[in-house]
Amino acid sequence: MLIRTPKDWELPESVVTPESAYELRPRRDFIKTLGLGLAGAALGGNNILAATAGFPSKENPAYPASALKPTAYEHIISYNNFYEFGTDKAEPKDQAKKWKPEPWTVELAGLVRNPAKIEVNDLINKLGGIEQRVYRMRCVEAWSMVIPWDGFQLSKLVALADPKPEAKFLKMTTLLDPKNMPGQRERSLDWPYVEGLHIDEANHELAFIATGIYGKPIPNQNGAPLRLVVPWKYGFKGVKSIVKFEFVAEQPLNTWHVMQSREYGFLANVNPMVDHPRWSQASERIIGAGGVLGARQKTLMFNGYEKQVAPLYQGVDLRKYF
Amino acid sequence: MPVLEKLLRSKVVIWILIVLPGLWPVWPIFIQHDSTVLADPLKYILHHLGFTACVLLAVVLTFTPLRVLFPKSPVALALNRHRRLVGVSAFAYAALHFSTHVLYEGGLESLQATLKIAAGKPFQLVGLIALTILLILALTSFPAAIRWLGGKRWKNLHRLVYVAAALSAYHQAAARKIFPQQVLWIFGPLIVLEVLRVMKERKARRPVARPPAASAA
Repeated sequence: MLIRTPKDWELPESVVTPESAYELRPRRDFIKTLGLGLAGAALGGNNILAATAGFPSKENPAYPASALKPTAYEHIISYNNFYEFGTDKAEPKDQAKKWKPEPWTVELAGLVRNPAKIEVNDLINKLGGIEQRVYRMRCVEAWSMVIPWDGFQLSKLVALADPKPEAKFLKMTTLLDPKNMPGQRERSLDWPYVEGLHIDEANHELAFIATGIYGKPIPNQNGAPLRLVVPWKYGFKGVKSIVKFEFVAEQPLNTWHVMQSREYGFLANVNPMVDHPRWSQASERIIGAGGVLGARQKTLMFNGYEKQVAPLYQGVDLRKYF
Repeated sequence: MPVLEKLLRSKVVIWILIVLPGLWPVWPIFIQHDSTVLADPLKYILHHLGFTACVLLAVVLTFTPLRVLFPKSPVALALNRHRRLVGVSAFAYAALHFSTHVLYEGGLESLQATLKIAAGKPFQLVGLIALTILLILALTSFPAAIRWLGGKRWKNLHRLVYVAAALSAYHQAAARKIFPQQVLWIFGPLIVLEVLRVMKERKARRPVARPPAASAA
């Protein structure tokens, strides 16, 4: 009983960044944060949507905090790519401060037997609550974090929608609200933000919808209240503030691919062998590590989740379909 | 205006204006403890040094057109006293920017890999070419070099600075995932001034070339 066989998608300590490179967040603090979240829910009384606070999450032992050294909370919530709130990393934190992502209704649509418009808290209740998983996160800009997410496995939502056999892809769309999302008043990207997964990817056990970080409700700048997390893909696949899950027959056109098809593909799997046309993807900066000079580590195939997801792409030319 | 002119004539003032931007990162990193900057401080320094190099390069290139357009302005004349200093400082920032890039990519031990990557990526290669041009110009910026090359050859060589500026603008524009607006306000005014300067210089030349129609009639 003392000898635990690690699940095959757990990363061995040897591939994890050395402890010294990280600002360590002791497990105790971690639990304390979670406690604060719960207390906040009890005191606040507002209907924090999809809030971790409202749905105390249990750490999924399969994706433990101890296996990876999480990035400090303040970096996770202040180094954001969320162009709806500005194109600089610091902007989303400030510009999304006043935004109220509530009430929030999610649409399950397209080729499904169970189309629905459902309030986000009801949705989470229906899916059986939330759990906690610690995932690596690798941005296409060659930096990485380790984030303790709260949320639910995407496959549960797929099962709830009950797609018809002709549904081959899942298209996810961010809220379109130029009045409250200042970035959408500029033409930096083609709004609203759209991302997609093949249905097999959506059903993979690693595909996750986040509702919280570090046991707290997911901050606006990180994509409140629902945000996709697919840790073996580049961060831009992680569409934020999702309002619509649509099951479709054709591969959806994802926003960054529309923007610059030579540089961003649909699959967007983390791959150290295939460079971005402007920079190398062979290694990555580790956010919040190493002091002023920082730290760098080698990028792993599928961001370290090769064993779990490689079977999805057997026979696929990953150089061509980057 | 005399105060501004007096200030701009002073080498000390120009030195301060050149050095201060280089010290700027101390503020968010060590004093403000900005958590966005601290996520990857070296990246902030890297971008900041490149940004400063672009600004100084664009600024020094406005000196000549300003003098042509406003030949009597004491400010324009004051600025033109510092062309070499500001030009060399643009190179210095570009060189610091490149050194930071080498450090950012893993330091001297991965220098070879860093250069190999740079050679294969137009975005990075263009930056390297611009830096090389600025290096050559900095090395030949001394009076002895002008004498050695001869005035005309020296001038032609130093016209390469316009190539360096164009390459730097491209390099800066390509440094982000989407087009950064700052490129426009750094290099835009320079383009406007250069267009006005060329127009003025052509106009000044034209009456000489044309036969005086009035006297013929």
